Amino acid sequence: MAIKTILIIEDDRFIGEMYVRSLKKAGYDVDWMIDGNDGLIAARNKAYDLILLDVMLPERRGSDILDALRGGAEDLIPHSKVLVLTNFEQDDESRIAMEKHANGYLIKAEITPSKLLAVIQQLDAE
Amino acid sequence: MSQPPKLANDFWRSYRCSVVTLIVITEGVMLGATGAFLYYASFFQSHLLAAITILLIQLIVSVLSFLLLYRSISRPFNDLMAAVIHVSGEPTTTTPPNPNTPRYAHNGFRDVLQTVYQLASNDQTTPLKAGSSTTTSPQEFITSALDETSTGFVIMSKGRRIVYANKVAPVDIDQDGASHLSLIFNGKDTLDAWLAECEKSAVHAEHTWTRIANKLPEEENRRFFDVMASYSKGTVAEVVITLADRTSTYINSEQDLDFIAFAAHELRGPITVIRGYLDVLQSELDGSLADDQVELFHRLTVSANRLSGYINNILNTSRYDRRHLKMHPIETTAAAVYDTIRDDMLMRASAQNRLLSVAIPNDLPAIAADPASMSEVFGNLIDNAIKYSNEGSAINVTAAVKGDFVEVSVEDHGIGMPGNVVSNLFQKFYRSHRSRETVAGTGIGLYISKAIVESHGGSIGVRSEEGRGSTFTVSIPTYASVADKLKSSDNSNEGLIDQGNGWIKNHSMYRG
Repeated sequence: MAIKTILIIEDDRFIGEMYVRSLKKAGYDVDWMIDGNDGLIAARNKAYDLILLDVMLPERRGSDILDALRGGAEDLIPHSKVLVLTNFEQDDESRIAMEKHANGYLIKAEITPSKLLAVIQQLDAE
Repeated sequence: MSQPPKLANDFWRSYRCSVVTLIVITEGVMLGATGAFLYYASFFQSHLLAAITILLIQLIVSVLSFLLLYRSISRPFNDLMAAVIHVSGEPTTTTPPNPNTPRYAHNGFRDVLQTVYQLASNDQTTPLKAGSSTTTSPQEFITSALDETSTGFVIMSKGRRIVYANKVAPVDIDQDGASHLSLIFNGKDTLDAWLAECEKSAVHAEHTWTRIANKLPEEENRRFFDVMASYSKGTVAEVVITLADRTSTYINSEQDLDFIAFAAHELRGPITVIRGYLDVLQSELDGSLADDQVELFHRLTVSANRLSGYINNILNTSRYDRRHLKMHPIETTAAAVYDTIRDDMLMRASAQNRLLSVAIPNDLPAIAADPASMSEVFGNLIDNAIKYSNEGSAINVTAAVKGDFVEVSVEDHGIGMPGNVVSNLFQKFYRSHRSRETVAGTGIGLYISKAIVESHGGSIGVRSEEGRGSTFTVSIPTYASVADKLKSSDNSNEGLIDQGNGWIKNHSMYRG
């Protein structure tokens, strides 16, 4: 299934806009949410092909969102792939917890829009 | 049957007694001899009164002279004994002689007495109690002297058991009562590793470590030592460790780094945005820019990436020193790791007019590496190769498999280094005299590269010739050789760190 629709949950305006812009240029259908609550609602309302999820978010942390979506008995987003965006200083525990429910793990400082596109294409090919 | 301890006091009493007896006997013999002479000379018959007078006079004169002599000869000796008895703490009724009496000041005996008192007062740490006859041993004297110094001394017997440590030595005692040196060595170059090597193959050996802390950053009473160890197999003090406290020298640069790391943290956000938007702009403007404008973009990107690399070095060093640097090795290949930085490196090389040729075969065995960290190592080495070579020169990156390791080499044809520089190269903040003058840098790039590589269970080395160039080689374990260890430690590098016996011995190469 080719990735077409993408939800970005990211509170940093510069970084959010940067991803939205480059992903839209690359032909994806992109929604962008800034806080954790809105992000969770958006993820449940529409079956996105891919969710880019920041960890440090206002209202609700990325790890909590992921837990709400996939931590229960039923996977609420069976059609979506999840890429977690994080800072380097993530503690190990939450990293392992999130890895279980996510398809990938990207360190923000290492990722540029073109690298992100390459990663998405790679996910698509899997 | 136990004998009461012999006291100096007793000796003096009996000695005095025997001297007096000797005098009395001598006195009698002399008197007898004179009497006998007078008798045989028939002096008694002719002048009885005169003979008796002579004998009487002789008796009086000799008794008086003996008394005078005895007094003048025995007096200093008497006082000396009294002083010794006094400082040795034996029970005595005499008062200690006063060296400041005018007579002693006059004849110089004062110095003798003062020497005795001084010797006694130098050793106040072991005051002798009345009734005990113990005197200060040289060992106690040395022990108290060592406790006064600011240099740590630790002595280990066979089996690395600490048998002596002076006060300032950084030694911890665990709940079982065993002493341990609390020193935080960097990477594989630890005291224990060195001792293990010595026990295997050395009779006498010496080794020095610089800038070794006893505690992690932010812990109290953190001190830095230059540690010197000497090993002599089979002796009582098999290992002698000297720890020169160099805290005052090293603490400034450490505190500077702490602050810079704090600042670098804040720089990461903006630099991520700058790199991201440069990326966006470059792809959006693709085709619409003139060649020289593209070059300007390249320079922006190269500079932003270098800045990002330096920030990573600082943050990683700070994490490593706090033992927070974690690796998450995965199954990957040297080529794949290099791919993540290839564009950046090619751009960097071409912007600085170097010919970067990279030949990492795709069919090399998979390695166990944390791609982000390992790409930083490659980046650091290539960055150094650019820095320390001349415009237009070639930089070759190659890779080959050697046993359970994949070796990646970065070769430049630049200024190279003399041997004495090479041995210090991987030390924190190390900058050679010449590089300090000619090339900008922080002196932590190689330090953190070594830390990262060793955290993978690998090693880093350099071969260099002054004026001809340098070759840095990184050995990374193949995934197959460490897969079991990785799985058992939940894919963290912890299982790898202690694995040091797979090193490839190559004596022409310095292992950092």
